[in-house]
Amino acid sequence: MLKEQIENLLLQVKSPSRYIGGELNSVVKDKSKVDVRFAFCFPDSYDVGMSHLGMKILYSLKNKRENFWCERVFAPWPDFEELMRKNNIPLYGLESLDPVKEFDFIGFTIQYELCYTNILNMLDLARLPVKAKDRTDDMPIVVAGGPCVCNPEPLADFIDLFIIGEGEEVNLELMDLYANMKKQGCSKKEFLEAAAEIEGIYVPSFYDVSYNDDGTVKAVVPNNPHAPKIVKKRIIKDLDSVFYPEEFVVPYCEIVHDRAVVEVLRGCIRGCRFCQAGFIYRPFREKTSDTICRQTKSLCESTGYEEVSLSSLSTSDLSEIDETLQQLSEYTSNENINLSLPSMRIDRFSKELLEQLQKVRKSGLTFAPEAGTQRLRDVINKNITEDEIMRACKLAFDGGYTSVKLYFMLGLPTETDDDIRGIAELAEKITDLFYQNPNRPKGRHLQISISCATFVPKPFTPFEFEPQASIEEIKHKQKVLLESIRSKKRINVSWHNYRVSILEAVLAKGDRRLCDAIYEAWKSGCKFDSWDEFYKYDTWMDVFERLGTDLDFYAHRTRPYNEIMPWQHLDYYITREFLIRENKTAHSEKTTFNCREKCAGCGVSKAIGGACFGKN
Amino acid sequence: MEKINLRAVFEKSGRAVFISHLDLLRTMQRAIKRSKIPVWYSQGFNPHIYLNFPLALSLGVIGRTEFMDFAVTEQCDNEKLVEMLNKSMPEGLKILSVDKPVFENKEIGYAEYSIDFKSSISPKKMLSSLEEMMSMEKIEIDKRSKSKGTVKIDIKPHLNILSTEILPDELRVVIRLPAGLALNINSNVFVDTFSDVSKITFTHICAERTKILCINGQIFK
Repeated sequence: MLKEQIENLLLQVKSPSRYIGGELNSVVKDKSKVDVRFAFCFPDSYDVGMSHLGMKILYSLKNKRENFWCERVFAPWPDFEELMRKNNIPLYGLESLDPVKEFDFIGFTIQYELCYTNILNMLDLARLPVKAKDRTDDMPIVVAGGPCVCNPEPLADFIDLFIIGEGEEVNLELMDLYANMKKQGCSKKEFLEAAAEIEGIYVPSFYDVSYNDDGTVKAVVPNNPHAPKIVKKRIIKDLDSVFYPEEFVVPYCEIVHDRAVVEVLRGCIRGCRFCQAGFIYRPFREKTSDTICRQTKSLCESTGYEEVSLSSLSTSDLSEIDETLQQLSEYTSNENINLSLPSMRIDRFSKELLEQLQKVRKSGLTFAPEAGTQRLRDVINKNITEDEIMRACKLAFDGGYTSVKLYFMLGLPTETDDDIRGIAELAEKITDLFYQNPNRPKGRHLQISISCATFVPKPFTPFEFEPQASIEEIKHKQKVLLESIRSKKRINVSWHNYRVSILEAVLAKGDRRLCDAIYEAWKSGCKFDSWDEFYKYDTWMDVFERLGTDLDFYAHRTRPYNEIMPWQHLDYYITREFLIRENKTAHSEKTTFNCREKCAGCGVSKAIGGACFGKN
Repeated sequence: MEKINLRAVFEKSGRAVFISHLDLLRTMQRAIKRSKIPVWYSQGFNPHIYLNFPLALSLGVIGRTEFMDFAVTEQCDNEKLVEMLNKSMPEGLKILSVDKPVFENKEIGYAEYSIDFKSSISPKKMLSSLEEMMSMEKIEIDKRSKSKGTVKIDIKPHLNILSTEILPDELRVVIRLPAGLALNINSNVFVDTFSDVSKITFTHICAERTKILCINGQIFK
């Protein structure tokens, strides 16, 4: 039994309650009475992983089935990892404290590219070979899902099968299939072949990839009769009636998002051209106000959380937003529960909404104009005007706010120095607005924070063809921005590390040949790449150089419209024709209507057999 | 709104010993919220459940009689409160009783601990090492204070060993240590000092706090 061994080490590490389980609402079953054991792994720390909604949904969903047992596993923080390795403690599930090596499935949810090395590290901590071909029939099946698997190719060597699209149905189908085949004593290969016939399952070893002389993909061809040529993503048709947990595991230690979360809608009508989530989660589906209120109530009661958040890509696009807020705030104010509303659009910002937000607490406001000029905002289809930004800020200042945070991206397609200077000008205009406003909070000064990320072109977006700006270009852009800010006392600028963004771009748009680089980087000590204190840029660059990986080829190259992308055999229902059309519209600096106003013909309506909005 | 002050006695054991003091506050607030007792909220802009722990417990130490102060908005049957609270407590936390507070927090003076030491050397040898340490003239340790930085203090007069017992492969020490506002020496300080002085590496330590006492020696309640 590992329990005593683990307990003996816990007082030597930071935040030990992360490693021992036993949290409220965690599910413990009798292992002799279940057919399939699933280790749900989040390849980052407990604090990050426990905040992830998808894991909470699938954890509850699987555990509702009497014959399945799903446990949680996170990447141990390096202090505990060291002790685990020193004391021969293998990676274990938090519910049973059994080694995950004994489980039937090990499943990773992959939310961002920078966790790839952690996946390898966790498999290694589990004492399993990291490469799928080296794992034998008596070892768990390693599966992965989540947004990043829309281009799973850089992980093809490590994962037995990928789950493409939404998981609520396909996970259960997969586990049922496994339960049946396990009883029949089937081999791993037989199971993978049967799994490949389920819609949404992609078995990478059943496909051969060939390359052209210039390094681009020539073809991706199935090498097994059970594997379909094109793997279609799974979509939940009716979000209002799909399973949603009535309880969350409540951690002891503080986690990143420490609150109840109700998902109110899936997909996004906006079509911002840089945003991968806006395309791969299509179509737009939403819950009714009654469902949202019922789910809020049951979660709050089962967890005791004092805060609930309405979550989605764009919560203000909920049709019944007003009814929902009204209905909810009655319950939440009676129960002293804070209602938080992240992801509200600037153009939907109203006095009523502001009052709602203020009930929670008067923290700073965050807006995301993404680009500094109207021209560039049109290019990215952000569909927000300067007037709308100014109106929202004025409302906020009238309401007593004295700090505003603005998110931008640097290196967007077609961006010029004028667009960069536009960021500074916008911030200066907001400063003027504050000091000219007679209703501003007296005796207080304004603080504007500009936070700049580096644009990363992503698969299944109209910008998948676009190159990422080079390091030199980004350095130049940062300099231009700093030089054009006059009110240095009031306006503070920060950036994400662009050395991280480059790795992100390479991994996001990479192919199978990157598996070796990920393997070598992990072997050279790379892990927790999304954490500044652990990110080893030089090590990654060394590995790329050693293996002859050309970063320009993956990240900084314009890809022609007819190039076969490494992910082309996966179908997210967004057609190539649509992406090309949108890319051209972007270059002509024109916007596209949102889905509710007018269908732009992205292709997803085909998947649901009719129009996404209104009648066919 | 009426505010009736109450004091709960609770046990913290099992996996709950790894809940830090700060996390315990959050954990209890959530458990109380789930229990639906008529708990009193602070009356500020951002109301929250009022909770106060008179004496913090170190991470890893079992607490047999820990205290938590809260308030309710209406007269309740104490037995009923215990029952409601226990239905919503997570693993390892158990409410033993609820009653009106008798003493003030500042009256806390001592705490008693029972500590089992396990090591590669025999309990008998551990005991003689302990006796050796206790026969020293002074036992000086570094104590950090906010105002003076690190200062050396002699803890020997404060180590009141009540009993020792040799178990099959452990040494059990029952000790009374100063606790509260004036001087606080927790069980880890004693364990670390014993280890430093005797040069013994303990393979396992199981410490539990068994009593909290007032300055005048009465049981705190």
